[in-house]
Amino acid sequence: MTLNIIHSGGFTIVQVDGHLNTLNAADFETQVMGLVERGDMKLIIDCSKLSYISSSGLRVFLLAQKKLRANKGLLKLCCLQPSIHEIFDMSGFTQIFLIETTLEASLTS
Amino acid sequence: MEHQEISLKNKIEELETITSFLDQLAEAWLLPPALLMSINLALEEAFTNIVYYAYADQATHQIELSISKQGDKLKICLADDGQPYDPTQAKAPDIKLSTEDRPIGGLGIFLIRKIMDNVHYQRDNGYNLLCMEKQISTPN
Repeated sequence: MTLNIIHSGGFTIVQVDGHLNTLNAADFETQVMGLVERGDMKLIIDCSKLSYISSSGLRVFLLAQKKLRANKGLLKLCCLQPSIHEIFDMSGFTQIFLIETTLEASLTS
Repeated sequence: MEHQEISLKNKIEELETITSFLDQLAEAWLLPPALLMSINLALEEAFTNIVYYAYADQATHQIELSISKQGDKLKICLADDGQPYDPTQAKAPDIKLSTEDRPIGGLGIFLIRKIMDNVHYQRDNGYNLLCMEKQISTPN
């Protein structure tokens, strides 16, 4: 898993590339929560290159969502591959996250 | 029937061994990528649970993974000599709760049960035996 962090239109965009699993979820958590801690309150997690996720990765998405909600921040997800979207759906996460199909849509809405 | 097995240590890094074992299997048995991802996920959740919760001691234990293919059905079994634990009896999380009310965690076993067609547990001679079945033709 690699992360690429860019800033655009007032948002911090986190691009996740590869597999998000039990072995690297702690690293993902440190980096994402680190952004929130330092005050990046408008976050987009771009999942276009996320090819695998397990419950340990889902846990970090929920943590970030809880933290941002509690601090009047905003978290959006975009561009989930169908297999990833299915896992979010099974977990009930499509109900609690703002999910856009394109990065442009998540930047404008 | 085709059958493959591998012996794993109760170390979380063995997840990488599982992934490469599955990659080889998928190539040999021509398993579709979506199915490969599903069984990798189910196995990651089950194996992680064993490594983190099955053993009270600090010793090294062996966990046996076996996968067989009969017709269009895959059967995946994990055997460990840890404390008795039946994941099929775990309480399912309420996935309709709001962000604020959703507890962190508790999704692993739930995902196994959602992904696999059939999950069976038995305690056998000091071993937890967890077997999961998946139809190869089932859309993922």
